[in-house]
Amino acid sequence: MREPTLRPSPSSPPSATPTRSGKSGKQGKAADWAPVEAASTAISTNATAPATSALTIHARDAADTLRRLRPAENQKGAWNKHAGRTDSRPDSKTPFDTIEPFDNSLAERLITAQAPQRPLATPTFRIEVDGRIVEGTEGQTILEVCRANGIEIPTLCYEPKLPGFGACRMCVVEVEGEEHPPISCSREAEAGMVVRTQTEQLRRLRRTNLELIFSDHNAYCLPPCQNKCPSHIDIPGFLRANAEGHFRESARIFKRTIPFPSILGRVCPAPCEDHCRRDEVDEAIAIRDSHRYAGDQILKSQKDGIEPPLPFETQPKTGKRVAVIGSGPAGMSAAYYLLLSGHDVTVFERDPEPGGMLRYGIPEYRLPKADVLEPEYEAVWKLGARLECNKALGRDFTLDDLHAQGFDSTIVATGCYDTNKLNIANENADGVIDGLEYLRIATLGLPYPGHKKSRVVVIGGGFTAMDCWRTSIRQGASQVTLVYRRDMKDMPAASEVHEALEEGGTAIFQAGPTRVLVDENNKVTGVEFIRMQPGAPDASGRRRPEPAAGTEFVVECDRVLLAIGQGPDLSWIGPGNEGVAAARYRLSADAVTFETGRPGVFGAGDVRIGAATVVQAIAEGRRCAYAVDAFLRGNDLSELRNGQTLAEVEPTFLSIVPFTDEPKEARHRLKAMPAKERSRSYIEYEIPYTAAEVMAESTRCLQCTCEALGNCDLRRLGIEYGTTLQTLEPGHDSGAGFRSVTENRFTGANHDYIRDDSHAFILREPSRCIDCGRCANVCAEVVGAACYDFMRTGFDTLVTTPLDMSLNDTPCVSCGRCAETCPTGALMPKPRVLEKYDVDESRCILCGICVDACPYDALRGGQDNELAHDDRADPQIDLIGLAAVDRETEVTYIRRERDWMAHALAEGRIDRSVEALPALPAALAGERGGRGGAKSE
Amino acid sequence: MTSTAVLATPARFPRLLLPATPPADPLEIEAAVAAGAFAALRLAVEKLKADGVINALTESGMRGRGGGGHPIGEKWRACARAGVPAGAAAGGVAAASAPTRYVVVNAYGADPAVMTDRVLLESNPYAVIEGAAIAAFAVGAREVIVALRAEAADAIRAVEAAIAAAESAGYLGENILDSGTEIRFSVRPLQGSYMLGEETVLLKGLEGKRGQPEQQPPYTTSRGLFGAPTLIHGPQTFAAVPTILSGGIAGFAETDARTFAGTILVQISGAVARPGIAEVPFGVTLREVLDVAGGVPGPRRLKAVLVGGPSGGILPADALGVGFDHDSLEKAGAHVGSGSIVVLDQHSCVVDLAAVLTRFCADEACGKTIPCRIGLRRLAEIGARICEGQPRGDEIACLTDLSVDIVGSALCDHERRATLALLSVVRYFRDELDAHLLRNTCPAGICQPKADARAGVVS
Repeated sequence: MREPTLRPSPSSPPSATPTRSGKSGKQGKAADWAPVEAASTAISTNATAPATSALTIHARDAADTLRRLRPAENQKGAWNKHAGRTDSRPDSKTPFDTIEPFDNSLAERLITAQAPQRPLATPTFRIEVDGRIVEGTEGQTILEVCRANGIEIPTLCYEPKLPGFGACRMCVVEVEGEEHPPISCSREAEAGMVVRTQTEQLRRLRRTNLELIFSDHNAYCLPPCQNKCPSHIDIPGFLRANAEGHFRESARIFKRTIPFPSILGRVCPAPCEDHCRRDEVDEAIAIRDSHRYAGDQILKSQKDGIEPPLPFETQPKTGKRVAVIGSGPAGMSAAYYLLLSGHDVTVFERDPEPGGMLRYGIPEYRLPKADVLEPEYEAVWKLGARLECNKALGRDFTLDDLHAQGFDSTIVATGCYDTNKLNIANENADGVIDGLEYLRIATLGLPYPGHKKSRVVVIGGGFTAMDCWRTSIRQGASQVTLVYRRDMKDMPAASEVHEALEEGGTAIFQAGPTRVLVDENNKVTGVEFIRMQPGAPDASGRRRPEPAAGTEFVVECDRVLLAIGQGPDLSWIGPGNEGVAAARYRLSADAVTFETGRPGVFGAGDVRIGAATVVQAIAEGRRCAYAVDAFLRGNDLSELRNGQTLAEVEPTFLSIVPFTDEPKEARHRLKAMPAKERSRSYIEYEIPYTAAEVMAESTRCLQCTCEALGNCDLRRLGIEYGTTLQTLEPGHDSGAGFRSVTENRFTGANHDYIRDDSHAFILREPSRCIDCGRCANVCAEVVGAACYDFMRTGFDTLVTTPLDMSLNDTPCVSCGRCAETCPTGALMPKPRVLEKYDVDESRCILCGICVDACPYDALRGGQDNELAHDDRADPQIDLIGLAAVDRETEVTYIRRERDWMAHALAEGRIDRSVEALPALPAALAGERGGRGGAKSE
Repeated sequence: MTSTAVLATPARFPRLLLPATPPADPLEIEAAVAAGAFAALRLAVEKLKADGVINALTESGMRGRGGGGHPIGEKWRACARAGVPAGAAAGGVAAASAPTRYVVVNAYGADPAVMTDRVLLESNPYAVIEGAAIAAFAVGAREVIVALRAEAADAIRAVEAAIAAAESAGYLGENILDSGTEIRFSVRPLQGSYMLGEETVLLKGLEGKRGQPEQQPPYTTSRGLFGAPTLIHGPQTFAAVPTILSGGIAGFAETDARTFAGTILVQISGAVARPGIAEVPFGVTLREVLDVAGGVPGPRRLKAVLVGGPSGGILPADALGVGFDHDSLEKAGAHVGSGSIVVLDQHSCVVDLAAVLTRFCADEACGKTIPCRIGLRRLAEIGARICEGQPRGDEIACLTDLSVDIVGSALCDHERRATLALLSVVRYFRDELDAHLLRNTCPAGICQPKADARAGVVS
């Protein structure tokens, strides 16, 4: 219950204040009926009669109760005497109503001047907001009226505890009849106002503001690895779980975006690792190998009958049925997330076994089928998916059939299986083989007929070519040559080249075929190639190879494997499958909503984007599942565009913080079987991590995510106003478009500040500061410490501590309100872990702040949480330990100096020993070197 | 070096602020009284009373000299009524129960190249003091604060001496003119940046806080210094008040002003024969003002005038017919501002000047709002890119759009006006802009646009 009112009556001056300090505030509770009388008078002059009497009686009752509770107390009298006044008559102003300055000094006025207090009961009025009539209370700002009525006006600098500040200019509104749009946080609402909050002009002003903020927002939300992952896996999240040894949690985090951590742990090209910021310290994290380990732990426990973890709770059954055509990565990930959303899924597969490219395109030595693929797919079947194998779209059924069978929706994820043609002479000769066809037989575990002892040429440079190359070696071909028209560094699968060379393959780069040579029986005898030289860059940024005339040469061979890319088979489009269309040799479907031309039919994966990586296909499948879910729930799919943005987006810009403190630690590499052994075997050749290795590797993660992710008003508004996205329309294969947040039409100079983590509780990251002033105002006006203020002027203004000093040196009371009010991640509570501590039990509330905050380690964790004690005989500081630390430092110093002298002497920079150099203790004099940073090659 | 010479003006220009024949010692109070000082205060206290003063001012149509040029009668009435319950107004606007009020003389003079306020305070301090005293009497304030720039030592000395003399003569103090009304004066030298010239910033400075503007409304007349109703004007406005009252309303209206009443001090500098300070009636054309300063001596040719100080607009030579008053200048893309007129000849590059001015305004910004702190800097960067001949896309569209949005969501006039320089260049000097953007040349030979950066030019 709120206190009975102590409000100033309208006749009293506005400088009236109910409390002068905390002390008189306590006295206020014992207030007698005089102020209540004043309040009731005020009410009766302003409000309607029935409400008045009710309120008056209520207030009077409360005051009576208080008086009865404390009959003897009359501290008021003492205060009056001090203030030089006599006790007041009942009808006069009480001393709590007014505080007059003792003298007319500036200081006294500053103390007594007070912001106007809003009375508890005030007259109401009505204003019109966006066509709605809403009610407000006198003295409320436009913003307060709107928020009280559920109308959202964006703000960044508004702090509800304080009067409007007006720095961010986000809360501008239009008031009819006013030239400049006022800001709603500082403008009192007046009866009859006509306010508009969302006009085109206002949104433009806000967008400009946001663009300006972002142009100087030298910070990032998501780490670059997560941003570059087509599926946006929470990489720092699962790595942290890994580092703590929670592998099940790690896999669970992974499965939020990709259901198959083990499969991806083997076949993903890991675009994330190319962008890892750990690279700036030493070497990128082995992200892929880390989730591979976590996924393998799940597969292991699955054998013992433990269910794999689910990323989300399964939604209640909707009763809707979805047909997924194709059981490759795209189809299966779509099925997984649809099942989690409560829909019924049936998967149709053309081949006798599920898996698509994973099963028939990727060789056993890279992805073991029985040990990895099948158990990981098991997670989908366990959710209730039905599988129908040997059913091909167009051959065994049509979209019309599916509709007739009662499927509410269909996802076409049939992949890319048509190998492109070279269009050269004799391409149809005996011995020219489609690479995919070859792999298909090979991955079934069957030796390809006639491959043993033959000479094979593989044409292409992608993953298929690589698999053909290495599988041919394993199948006993006498000589296997890969020919690629660009350089090795341009190969999508460049990482595997060395391994294949070790296994005995040969490679020719920068050469393209001109014709296939045949004998009289139309049997291949060789291929003629021509040397290619790099020309002008093409659309992908790679330089287009151009043939160099007169450089033809012939490679003799018995077999040619073509692996120069694939396209989807769309021959099924036609009768029974009307409504869908092909565009540019692909299935035409929207990039965000995945809708094809036929209602209820969606297209995802390689069939939509062309041959791509597994991780891209899985990202497609998941995003498509969300689109289908929205469709089945009857939501507007165009809304999804925005929703997708909210879910997927990533403003990123990296502030390159010097990682000087970060110890150098080389990447833990997966070991492989010796090349001789693996070139004869289909067994997976990479030897997985041990638990210790994976934890050590995951610990190397710098956790680049912004700590405020999810709580950041700036990010939320940036997404809402579209200032963080280049375009909503994603590229054909890369999800929503990305760009750095600082890149907009105003990009210019920006600030790069250094993170300050010197304070025990509050982490400061000034590069994320938008100078809204909330921390400064809350700290000064609410807390009273005034640690922050606007410093410097102009563009360089920054809300920070005086002289940018550490918070430890300010009057900071560690209350954390600045971090609480910060709209971005510029001020954050520091994460802490406390386990046990010694306390003075007579006073302690077991908050534990002392242990963490004590700069001298005078407090330490005790053996017993509840029974604290103080024992002076037992020194809390480990003096011997401290001494050891000192000594170590001293020794290091001596060594460094002596090393310098040795080097300088050797290089002739000095000509004799510097005698003043300190001498090593005898015990250490023999010891040399030590643990230097193990540098990796 | 800014010239403080007071220029002779034609006889048809009335001299209301700076007397045409200055007294030997402007601080000599007897001489000043003999010349008519404090007559208007006596008139106000003894005859007109508070209401009468405000009514007289309202009828005179007088407007404030700086900023938006608001009618001062309304402003005074708002201040006098602030904090008084609506029903209590019958007993006189400045009722005895009214809250504390302040009158502040904003003599900070933010523009470093303008000396008009200092010269006024040094040569005619009693007019300013009298006007402020009348204001305090009319709105019911007991305290008048004269805020000056700390390095204006002569002006501070003059004002302090004048206040002391007037107090001992009974014109100010506990009991002015034996009326029982108390009006105390104090002088507050302030040291700070450019932004202190903005009225809410000045009040923050007087309160001892960081100088950042406050959103208006609520206007200072209802919530000003220490939250009390505060009337704040520049010294020229206060100095004009006694003339209105003692000379009669008719007398004031008879001045040569073509748009509204009164005169204003301008600081003319740059390529003119006689730089200095001149008192001109509102509404005279810019050409007439330049004539006062002797025009542009040959072989220099008039190219443009910068009107309004660092945040002013640059007007071309053929815009000299524009009247020097708030409305006309606003329409032409400049503003009265500090009363500064800088004359540019053919050796000045307006693009470079606008970019430098914008950078100055951006650097002097207090840093409170986003459009000002970042937006002005971005404007300055656009200007710099044009000067360097390294435009990025359609710079002019970006500049215009950004300026419109800065004005649209501005907190104080500083950010609104700071867009004027570049906008006026876009408006009047498109040829010169295009020379930088398209031909990589600077007609004035000031900028050195790089020739290799022409890719990406759209306009």
